Amino acid sequence: MFSFRGCGGRVAASFTKRHFPLPRLGSDSAEPRTPHFDVIVIGGGHAGTEAATAAARCGSRTLLLTHRVDTIGQMSCNPSFGGIGKGHLMREVDALDGLCSRICDQSGVHYKVLNRCKGPAVWGLRAQIDRKLYKQNMQKEILSTPLLTVQEGAVEDLILTEPEPEHTGKCRVSGVILVDGSTVYSESVILTTGTFLRGMIVIGLEMHPAGRLGDQPSIGLAQTLEKLGFVVGRLKTGTPPRIAKDSINFSILNKQTPDNPSLPFSFMNETVWIKPEDQLPCYLTHTNPRVDEIVLKNLHLNSHVKETIRGPRYCPSIESKVLRFPNRQHQVWLEPEGMDSDLIYPQGLSMTLPAELQEKMITCIRGLEKAKVIQPGYGVQYDYLDPRQITPSLETHLVQRLFFAGQINGTTGYEEAAAQGVIAGINASLRVNRKPPFVVSRTEGYIGVLIDDLTTLGTSEPYRMFTSRVEFRLSLRPDNADSRLTLRGYKEAGCVSQQRYERACWMKSSLEEGISVLKSIEFSSSKWKNLIPEASISTSRSLPVRALDVLKYEEVDVDSLAKAVPEPLKKYTKCRELAERLKIEATYESVLFHQLQEIKEVQRDEALQLPKDLDYLTVRDVSLSHEVREKLHFSRPQTIGAASRIPGVTPAAIINLLRFVKTTQQRQAAMNESPKTDQYLRDTDRLQERELQ
Amino acid sequence: MWRGLWTLAAQAARGPRRLCTRRNSGAPVPGSGATIFALSSGQGRCGVAVIRTSGPASGHALRILTAPRDLPPARHASLRLLSDPRSGEPLDRALVLWFPGPKSFTGEDCVEFHVHGGPAVVSGVLRALGSVPGLRPAEAGEFTRRAFAHGKLNLTEVEGLADLIHAETEAQRRQALRQLDGELGHLCRGWAETLTKALAHVEAYIDFGEDDNLEEGVLEQANIEVRALEVALGAHLRDARRGQRLRSGAHVVVTGPPNAGKSSLVNLLSRKPVSIVSPEPGTTRDVLETPVDLAGFPVLLSDTAGLREGVGPVEQEGVRRARERLEQADLILAMLDASDLASPSSCNFLATVVASAGAQSRSSSSQRLLLVLNKSDLLSTEGPGPGPDMPPHLLLSCVTGEGLDGLLEALKMELAAVCGDPSTGPPLLTRARHQHHLQGCLDALGHYKQSKDLALAAEALRVARGHLTRLTGGGGTEEILDIIFRDFCVGK
Repeated sequence: MFSFRGCGGRVAASFTKRHFPLPRLGSDSAEPRTPHFDVIVIGGGHAGTEAATAAARCGSRTLLLTHRVDTIGQMSCNPSFGGIGKGHLMREVDALDGLCSRICDQSGVHYKVLNRCKGPAVWGLRAQIDRKLYKQNMQKEILSTPLLTVQEGAVEDLILTEPEPEHTGKCRVSGVILVDGSTVYSESVILTTGTFLRGMIVIGLEMHPAGRLGDQPSIGLAQTLEKLGFVVGRLKTGTPPRIAKDSINFSILNKQTPDNPSLPFSFMNETVWIKPEDQLPCYLTHTNPRVDEIVLKNLHLNSHVKETIRGPRYCPSIESKVLRFPNRQHQVWLEPEGMDSDLIYPQGLSMTLPAELQEKMITCIRGLEKAKVIQPGYGVQYDYLDPRQITPSLETHLVQRLFFAGQINGTTGYEEAAAQGVIAGINASLRVNRKPPFVVSRTEGYIGVLIDDLTTLGTSEPYRMFTSRVEFRLSLRPDNADSRLTLRGYKEAGCVSQQRYERACWMKSSLEEGISVLKSIEFSSSKWKNLIPEASISTSRSLPVRALDVLKYEEVDVDSLAKAVPEPLKKYTKCRELAERLKIEATYESVLFHQLQEIKEVQRDEALQLPKDLDYLTVRDVSLSHEVREKLHFSRPQTIGAASRIPGVTPAAIINLLRFVKTTQQRQAAMNESPKTDQYLRDTDRLQERELQ
Repeated sequence: MWRGLWTLAAQAARGPRRLCTRRNSGAPVPGSGATIFALSSGQGRCGVAVIRTSGPASGHALRILTAPRDLPPARHASLRLLSDPRSGEPLDRALVLWFPGPKSFTGEDCVEFHVHGGPAVVSGVLRALGSVPGLRPAEAGEFTRRAFAHGKLNLTEVEGLADLIHAETEAQRRQALRQLDGELGHLCRGWAETLTKALAHVEAYIDFGEDDNLEEGVLEQANIEVRALEVALGAHLRDARRGQRLRSGAHVVVTGPPNAGKSSLVNLLSRKPVSIVSPEPGTTRDVLETPVDLAGFPVLLSDTAGLREGVGPVEQEGVRRARERLEQADLILAMLDASDLASPSSCNFLATVVASAGAQSRSSSSQRLLLVLNKSDLLSTEGPGPGPDMPPHLLLSCVTGEGLDGLLEALKMELAAVCGDPSTGPPLLTRARHQHHLQGCLDALGHYKQSKDLALAAEALRVARGHLTRLTGGGGTEEILDIIFRDFCVGK
């Protein structure tokens, strides 16, 4: 395969409307009539860009199809990335060599870690991002990615063919048909259409079809999916108005300054592109009773709020905040949109009032008395597909080789979309190469929790990541995402660069070595007290105390420990990241030891795979109630572990399933028959082996 | 979902881990899963009770209970003095068997304690096991599951295994329902609710504390609630008398349409006037229970309101309680008026209660049902008896006593099956489970106080809540999110 790297500028420069490098040249001289790719990604948002680059990193010839190339990498809503839970996802995306973290390190204007004082397991890396820079950097990255081709075009339909007999699914996707009637063939297709499936924009009582303000929705595709039998739901979201920066009186508002020093998102960066003193501040203001009054008086002019399809439990707009929590002040963060942007994004003021009333409401707020609304806030209603129709590798049950990622699966947020994008891209590529899927378990990452929640429980409101959703929160931390995912990503998916892999290996072995050294150093507590007087070590314990236990004290870090015991600890102070990570490992060590036990229990259940082609509604050899059968039939859990998390599936049903699987396995092993069975057994064995290692 | 029972007993566990360095000494290996224990022999009047453990800490538990002696030779019965590891108090002289994995019932390290069957001994050993770090009472079907997972049950050869599994899990489900009845259940639910709310507020503080505006003092309020809960739990655990009145024995529930003669049967079986009997339908409105000895088995006999719709609120409540009690029954005595089989209430009863129990018992042997046709004295000798469509049944006349011997004989067979089921040992196991989880909850709350790192503190609350919801059911993440979104204005 030829590489684009090094000539990225030329590709970008030569790239105009219908750029079409023919990827399939190779040895066969017969030139294909229609273009043929390994993977087609539809959509250039946060899921699409990650999916396309991940597939390309895995070695697949990939085509990214988007309505408009100049919107690739567009941040359609808030000008920020990360946060609590979301920052965790970004670290994991980065651990798999995804883009968003690295690009945020090049495009931020205000870096701040949330939850600094609440413990490193729940730190939330966050940054205000310059929209223009982000888009530029993203497009540069996309256009210089080897094996990745970008084309403008709206997809109207999917090309469907006979299913592969060795897999489940009623048909197989083998390409797409564009609006202009042309076709592109591929081995697999990833849909990352965001809010574009029958998207409707709502302002006041006006409604018009659009995926994003100024962009056409995809209607043909939505119809195709519905005809195929996908269960479609409807969700809504919204975005606040944008305000002219120079019309705001910042001098009377609370100012929030960025961290100094800035903590980068990516494991590969030691620092971000901009110095703390050059970064922009954010400001805080609050709503007041006059805002409530305008909302309440004008509810009749606000169809987005009135038509509560099925409102989410949280408050998506200022209207819902006022309705659900009346007589309160609500926070409004005034966030910069970029270094040279004239706009301010008022986070917390998402609204769908008629445009003229929006300015009236905003000018009631302190500091915004003279504010000019440049673009009104609006609501978006769009189709999503019940995510219980996809597998943990994000492939659909119904259509082979069709993958979904991002808002189409009912999530909200850039980071949630990016996380799914990476997984879909990797798996679409692995599928083409007939390799086993790359699945992240709940015990391995926030990505795993996100996808497992979606695929086993589904969602009826836009799904957002919270750390409270994660059972093993103390194990799945932002600091150790590389140890959890980079090695697997390199070995099993091939999506990780050599350089990153080597760095992660070095870090992992240094940490392990450091921890065992810290465990091996033992002194009496009184000796420790003498060595580190500032630590509040209790001298009443008669047993020797390990250096690792001393490091648990809040006031002790690797530096102070190394001062007390220079040999052999001095060398661990040389790498800042290593020193900090050792401290974090020590903080959680005792709990982690026991959490590992629970993790093993969950993993044991997850290693027990259920046959993919099991027809729960008709299978006779297993005793299950009708209700349980229906639930299993719809969600199609892939493992006993996933089945046991489906509400209403009883312990008795689980044991009966387990028994069924084991007997089937035994019988089939005895007969050693069809290749499908062999494949399934091999998968199971492989997983069990992995567990044992 | 958070299964961690001994997650925070870190300090305690480090001791034994260091002590046992020899291979196969039975010391828990990190990350190999929890060790479970359960009473696995029949309860009631048996001479010997068998308590089983499975998991990596089995050998460790055996050594602790039989200290100072070392592990007995593998797969040999040895006589050992068992004593409580905390008090050193002797519990019983028992036969112990040590089965190092994989050659064991579950494929993991297993231990069997054959102890003298008295309730005091059995509960003493269960309590002692519960106090060993790394051990916890088994959940529904867990032994079987582990055996499957290790490929230990040759399933094709074991007939009726599905029944056994269903019986095990269903019996435990019924037992859990019983636990929730009564004062202790009420207390536990209240505690779980308080704890869930406190946890939700701490979680909200972590997830939204900096971006959204939570009210002031969220954390302080949670701290106050946790402290109060700690005091309440501590007091409860210290006060041994407040244990739930033990309702031992198989649960036999008499049910049927109104005026079938249920109360007459209860009085007949208990040989004393427990229930008021009158010809008026709907006389019994509450659940009346009485402990009786039937054919040598301890039985808790419950008389319930006749099942019918559309009556006054008091009777409706009685019917609701009757249905609830039916759920918990080990054995149902379904009663019909033999002279009134064609009536709508009789037909409805046959179609619903009898048919559904019948359908269940084909796939499971757990909930048993005997159909009794009462008032056989009213059937004319030549007249039409019960039709051929009638499921298997017994004829009885509570007035003349005719058919009572046959009923007692049938009861004896059913009860033998019910009481032989290892998992229907409510009182001892229930008490051990309660103690274990309440103590675990209390310990975890102690860790909450000590943790400066909020993520660690929240983890302690999660573990504490996990213990309580093991007793009360529920406990998912969605409950937490519901509370967060209900109590706080968070979102975009």
